[in-house]
Formats: sequence, C-alpha cells, structure tokens
Amino acid sequence: MRKNWFVLLAVLLVLVAFVFTGCQRQGAAKKVKVKVQQWEIPFLNSLTGPIASIGEFLHWGAERAAKEINEAGGISGKPVKVIGVDTALDPQKGVVEMGKIVQTALVALGPVPEPVIMAAMPIAVENEMMSFTATTSLEYAEKFFPWSISWFPKTEDRLPPLVTAWAELNPEMKSVVQFVGNYGPWPGMVAAHKVGLEKLSLKALNNVEVPADAVTFGPLVVKALEQKPDGIIIACWPEKAAKLVQELKSRGWKNMGRILLFSSADDASLYSTGGASLNGAIIYNYINVDVDTPRWNAFKEAYAADHNGMQPPSLSTNYYDAVYMIKEAMEKTGVTGDPKKLKEERKKIAAYVADVKNFQGLLFNWDMAGGVPTNKPTYLFEIQDGMKKLVKEIRE
Amino acid sequence: MEVLVAQVINGLSLGSIYVLLVTGFNLLLLAAMIIHFAYPQVVVFSMYIAWVVLRYTGNSVPLAVLAAVGASVAINLASAPLFQKIMKNREEVDINSTMVVSMGIGMIITDVLSHGFNKGLPISFPRQLVGDVALFRFGLISLLSGQAASLAVGVLAVSGVFLLLYKTRPGRAFRAIAEDPNGARLVGIPLLSTGLQSYALSGILGGLIAVLLALMLGYASPGLGEQVAHKVLAVSIIAGLGNLPGGLVVGLALGILEALAQGYLPGSWSNAIAFIVLLGVILVKPRGLFGLKL
Amino acid sequence: MPLPLYYFLAITAINILMSWALYLPYRVAHLHFLTVANMAISGYLSGWLVQGLGVSFWAALPLGFAAGGLIGWVISLFIGEAPTFTVVIVGFTFIYITRTVIENTKAVGATMGMFGLPLVAGSPALHRWTILALLYSLVLVVGFLIHRFEHSRLGRAASAVFVDKDLATSFGVDIAKLGRLLQVFSSTVAGGCGVIYGFLYRSFHLDFFTFHLVGLFMTIIFVGGYATMWGVVVAAPALYGLTLLFPPEVASWRIVIYGAILVAVLVLKPEGFVTRRLVLNLERLLSSQRKKIQ
Repeated sequence: MRKNWFVLLAVLLVLVAFVFTGCQRQGAAKKVKVKVQQWEIPFLNSLTGPIASIGEFLHWGAERAAKEINEAGGISGKPVKVIGVDTALDPQKGVVEMGKIVQTALVALGPVPEPVIMAAMPIAVENEMMSFTATTSLEYAEKFFPWSISWFPKTEDRLPPLVTAWAELNPEMKSVVQFVGNYGPWPGMVAAHKVGLEKLSLKALNNVEVPADAVTFGPLVVKALEQKPDGIIIACWPEKAAKLVQELKSRGWKNMGRILLFSSADDASLYSTGGASLNGAIIYNYINVDVDTPRWNAFKEAYAADHNGMQPPSLSTNYYDAVYMIKEAMEKTGVTGDPKKLKEERKKIAAYVADVKNFQGLLFNWDMAGGVPTNKPTYLFEIQDGMKKLVKEIRE
Repeated sequence: MEVLVAQVINGLSLGSIYVLLVTGFNLLLLAAMIIHFAYPQVVVFSMYIAWVVLRYTGNSVPLAVLAAVGASVAINLASAPLFQKIMKNREEVDINSTMVVSMGIGMIITDVLSHGFNKGLPISFPRQLVGDVALFRFGLISLLSGQAASLAVGVLAVSGVFLLLYKTRPGRAFRAIAEDPNGARLVGIPLLSTGLQSYALSGILGGLIAVLLALMLGYASPGLGEQVAHKVLAVSIIAGLGNLPGGLVVGLALGILEALAQGYLPGSWSNAIAFIVLLGVILVKPRGLFGLKL
Repeated sequence: MPLPLYYFLAITAINILMSWALYLPYRVAHLHFLTVANMAISGYLSGWLVQGLGVSFWAALPLGFAAGGLIGWVISLFIGEAPTFTVVIVGFTFIYITRTVIENTKAVGATMGMFGLPLVAGSPALHRWTILALLYSLVLVVGFLIHRFEHSRLGRAASAVFVDKDLATSFGVDIAKLGRLLQVFSSTVAGGCGVIYGFLYRSFHLDFFTFHLVGLFMTIIFVGGYATMWGVVVAAPALYGLTLLFPPEVASWRIVIYGAILVAVLVLKPEGFVTRRLVLNLERLLSSQRKKIQ
C-alpha cells in the first residue's frame, strides 16, 4: 500500500520535472549574457482574454518606441526588444511569468490590469525590480513604490479641476448625477468629481451604480432622471457608458454637452457601441490627438495604418513613453546589463525614473517626484463621429 | 408612482429577454432532454452573424434574419450528435454531462466571438433598425418599440412553443423521443429525423430571438451570452425545469425585481438581491415554484 | 527554489485541492460551485483578521477552514439532497452575492482589494517553503481522506447514489446525510484554500474569484476523470502547465482549446482520462509487482 503511494508520488514528480524543464527551457532562452547584445524588456500584458483589444494597443505603443529607438541607434548602442508576455488577465499565469522575469530582467513593463498587478507586483517588489505599471491609478501603483511608478497624479488633485472646467462650460447646470461602475479606483474618481462640482456650488445628486453585468439600462436612467439633473457624468465601462448615453437620448435627453464621460470610458468599445449617438458629449482624457509635432504625427499615421484608420486611444502612448523613459534611465545611469550588477543596476533605474525631470514624452514633457508625475495636462474633448475635438486643456 | 410604473415597464422589458431565452432553453429540454447552458451564447453568436450580413448587404433585414436563423440552426444541428452521444440515460435528463458539454461549447463560442468579429469589440446595430422609438412617453414612463416587440413576442413564443409541444402531433413526437426513444421507435416515430427537427426548431427560435434582441438592445458583445446564462438557468430552475408558463412568470418577475432593485437600491446590489430572492425560493422549493415538467 | 517552479507547484496544489473539493460532492452528482464562494469568503475574512485585527496567519487559517465548513453546513441543510441543478444555482448565487458584499465592504478593500498581506514566516524564502509545505501537507491529508472515503462503505454508497438515487435509497443510503457530509467537507477544504491563495499572492482582489475558476476546476475534473480522485492529480498540473507552455500564437486561442478538450473528452471518453478501470488495473499491476519482489 505504502509502495503504491511512493510510486504515484514518483509519477507526480516526473510530471513536475517535465513541466519545470519546459519552464527552464524558456528561462534558458532569456538568460542575460555578460555582454548584452540586445536589451530585452518584458511586458506583462493581457494580450488574450477579455481585454485583449486594450493589451494590443498598449503593446503596439511599446513596440513602436522600441522600433524608433533602434532606428536611432538603440540604447547605449545596443538594440532593444519588447517581449510581450501574455497573462490573459489570469493572476495564476501572471505570478509564474513575473517569477520568470525577475530572474534575469533589469526592468519590466506592466503588469496589466489590476488583478494581475495585485498578484504579480509583490514578486517584483521582493526582488527589487522596477515594473512600470503605466496604466493603473496612483492608488494601486503607490502600494508597490519604489518598484513601480505612477503615470497619473493623485486622483483627488487631478480630477476636480477637470470637472470644474466642464461645469464652467455649462454655467446653467445646477445639479449633476453620476453613473458609477463599482470597479477598482472608479468610486474614488467619482468622489473626486464631486469635489470639482462642489467648487462651483453645484449639487452632486445621488450616484447611480451601474452593475457589471447590466444588459438593459432603462432602470438606471430612470433612477437618474428621477432626480432631475441638469448634467450627467458617466464613470463606468465603455460599452455600458455608450448604452447609457443612448438610453438617455431615447428618454429625451437633449443637451449632449452636459454629458461628461470619464477617461476610462475612452476606449474603442465606447465608439463601436455608441457611434453617432455620442456626438456632442464631452469626454476627458490625458492626451491631445490634435497636437502637431512630427513625432506625434508619425505615431498617429502609423497607428492609423495598423488599425483601420482609427485614432490612437489615450493609453496607447503610456508604454511608448515608458520605453523611452527606460532608455533615458539606462543611458543616464550607465547601466551595463552585466548580470553580476543586476541588483545594483535595477536600483539605479528605479531611482532615476522616480524623480526624472523634464522627461520628453511623446505629447508633452513632465517631471516625476517620488514616482508621481507632476504638471501633466488633462483635456476636455467633444466627441464627433468617433473623433475627439479639443475643447480645453487643464493643467494643475 | 410615475417612477414605479416606469421601472415596472423597464422590468417587463428586461424580463422579456429572460423569457425568450428560457423558452428556447426549455424547448431543447423538452424536445431533446438536454440542459443547454450555452443557449444564450448561441443566440449571441446569431446576433453577430446578423450584424455581419447587415454590414455586407447594406442593412438587408430579411437576409440578416435568415442568416441569424441559419447560424443558430447550424450550431444546434452540429452540437446535436455531441449531446446525444454523451447522454447515458435517455429517460432522464443527464444534467451533469449535458450542462458541462454545453459549458464547453459556450467557452468556445465566446472566445471565437472575441477573436473573430470586430476585433473583440462590441457590435452595434444600425440605429434605424433598432427599436428605440418611443411609442408612448409620459414623464419618465416610456415604452419603446423594441421593448413592446420583445414583450409581445416573448408571450407569443411561450404560447407557440406550448401549443406546439402539447397540442400538435410533431410536438408529441418530440416529447416522446425525449422521454422514451425505444417506445417512440416502437410506435413508428422516426428517431433521427424527428430528433433533428427538434434541434432545428430550437435553432429557428434561437435565430428569431437573436433578431429580437438586436432590435431591443441595439448591441451585442462577446460576453453578453455569459452575462445572462446564469440567470436563464436560474429562471428555468426556479420555475421548474421544462415548465413553459412557469418560465414566463418567473422570467418577467425576475426582470421586474431587478429593475426595481436597480431603481430603488444601489445598482451593484441589484444582482445580489435578485439572486438572494432566487436563492430563498430554491431553498424552500428545490424542484421549482411550479414543478418540473419533464 | 526558482520562483516559477514555486508558483507552479503552489498553484497546482491549490487547483488540486479545489478540484477535489468539487469532485467529492460530485460523487453524489452535486456540482457544488459554492466552493468558489467559500474560497472568497474565507480568504477575505482571513485577510481582514490578519491585516485589520492583527491576528496571526496561523490563527486565521483554521478560522478560514471553519468559516467554509460552517457556511457549507448551513447551506447543506437545505440542499443536501436537492437535485443537481439546484445545487448548481445555489453555488452561482453565492458567488454573485459574495462578490457584491465584498465590493461594497470597505473593511476588506472593497473594489480596490487588499494589499500587502504579511509573510507567514520570517523571510520571503521561508514564507515560500512554508506555503508549499502547508499546501502539500494538505494535499496529502485531503487526498488520504478522500482515498479512505472511496474505499469505505460511504464511498460505495456515494457511487450507488451517483448511478441510481432510488436504488441507493432502497438499500438504505441516507442521501441527505451523505450529501451534507460531502458538501461540508468540500466547503471546509475550499475555505482553507481561499486563505492560502491570498497569502500566496499576498493580496486579494475580487477578480481572483470569478466564474473562470468554476470553469477551470470543472475542466480539471472532467478531463482528468470524475470517477476517481487521481484524475485531478493528473489534470491539474497538466492543464495549468499547458497554458504556460503554449507559444504566443496558440496562447491566444487558449480558451477555445480548453473548451474543445472538454467537449472532446466528454464525448469520446466520458469518464475522463483516468478511469476507474485504469486505476484498478494500475493497482493490480503494482500489487503483483510488489508480490514478485516479496
């Protein structure tokens, strides 16, 4: 009887060794040589699964940056490669992949999105490796400082001026109702919106929570309209945001300028669901697609060529900028890629980016202070036929 | 009062979606003895096919309807041999096997939609075809054309399927095969063709439901089927598996309950509340409110 | 120990334990999805106890087991002998309710989640070894208990219930009691797993406990083999390892591949890869080898 157990245990161990060999084989392919021939930056991303469409353009941005850098001579003369590591939004996969990455990588991009960040970032922190969480809010990123970095300033600092600016465009508004999806940092963003409204003594009516699996939106819109709002702010999933706008219109809402959509709704799903129904609505976000610079124009054209003429979504520049920031950090701190100096060089990169000054991003320059960006602009846009027209730029 | 009436109308509209899906689900259950957990995903797939046809035919509605029906029938017929093969005991619903197989089919459909259509983004149907014209509006109370159509068709579908299965010869043949194939063979019912007819009929209903949902919702996404699948199963079980009139009552009741919960309580609790009520009912009456009809 | 190996082993152990938690009630044809809700409830409870009240992990762990068992027991009083689909819906319902409660409870981080759970031992390396030792001890203990169960009267009674409930009842099997026992055991194991799962990641997020887990554990059971406990032991590392080894082009179709494997196995090998006959033959072979050696 005991022997049966031993034999079965042996079979199990053989299976494990087989899979481990697979892991090692993959790991062996990524071993860093003493002389770096190529910089490899792993990007822990959701390339498949529910947010694959977002993961795709994030990866596109990072690869675009790598391409440009290589055309200009690389990082310290060596080419750079962004390696997409798919987690499919699965924490179980994310931790194994991060476990592989921290063995040899100097720095990483991602993870994307929040569940994988929660699971995998503690591994990066424990191994003192910087991982650029460039698409999540400060409230998530700061939990992993100094081994992560935030692309966004404090929500309560950034959002109120935005909402105030929108309200100023509609001086006749007296009360506003907010639709909020109960996900991640969104409730916090809605609270910050309220602060912005109160600055102009606007009344923030009772929020209307949008369930994650809402299929029809009549009940929610009736609940909102019952309060007789003058304005609407929508902070929920893009597809649902579009449906809410359509439902509002079908129930007689006329003044589209008094509908404000938040940044996380600015996604291809919003436009593919909402179409022309969104015309006239205002949306806030962090990049201005109408900026006229050669670098940005080239980015836009390349994006349109690869994405059926679409405008780049606002997050598409985040990892583009992240790769350039890594380049700058490596070159400025003299990173060699010597595996013996892995720990030391990881710290150099982390320390540099946390307080980088006048970083030249794709669309604007900004400073970091303790891993938190300062003086980044935000914008209000009007949606017209799936495109965003700049209404106002706001800086803190 | 105005708000209450408005929410009840919204609830009936939402409930009609459940009724339509539960009716198709029950048809397969009664006619083929299978629990097709992924029936909503099949319907959503048909919506996508209709959308593709609309895009490439300049919004030809008849062709889109045909395509949706064709897609639904095709999937049903293709999956028929799978279900029949794994059912061990044809005298009783082998829920474990059929439900698990259908879950696998649902996973495949959802992922194919994520990959193969519109880059995984939601699709929206042309506004001129969507039923968002208000037939009636008084303050917050409004009845949109899509809502009215889906409610009317939902009731008609239940009645039609009920009459078909219980009052016609073909319907009796379907039920006979489902309940006792050997007995059915003995009395001269051709098993293969009749069995396939039952799957095809469910497919036709699925295609029509797809068109109706497109009319009413105006959009679809890869995850839409999964979102409603749990509730469809819940409605069917609460009503009593295979109970058509029960499905109508419970489906509409769930829709109204959800709408009122969303309207009067925090939205994120509406699901939980709806399920708490369903849980209470099922714990007290595990075989359904109106009894099994298998 | 290399980190990838650690996480692979740890998560495989969790998947084995959770799949066994689902496997055991399935011996009486109950798909007890309540286990995923148990995982979340006990996990978050332990996180709150440790972070919020400063309770040690070693005190929170048994409380997590107990919470799972208690919830499983209370629910089993109602569904101990309920039809399979009722048990399924109760499980789904609890998953919805649990998620809603957690996302609205600030004390456990609400929608943001819980960060920075402490190490269970002095250093990160010791923490990992402790978690692994704990998990594989649990695998051995639970595996032993299930093995003993299967070779006992209760196990034979469960097999009888699975095949024919009425016949089992006529032989004096108390289905309600047996169902309750298995559900309580299953929920207890799930509760403990939830605690360890969170401390493995050192954080909790609602999206750690989704319907995706239901699909995963079900696939492990049905592909591995639902008639014997060894199917889970084979399928859990294999299916998890597969996802890690897929090349990127194939990985994007991962869900379709899983769905296809599930459907194919159910159709072609309904009992799964590791069948009872295979286990019996292996046991006989090992026994005869042992006799030869002696």
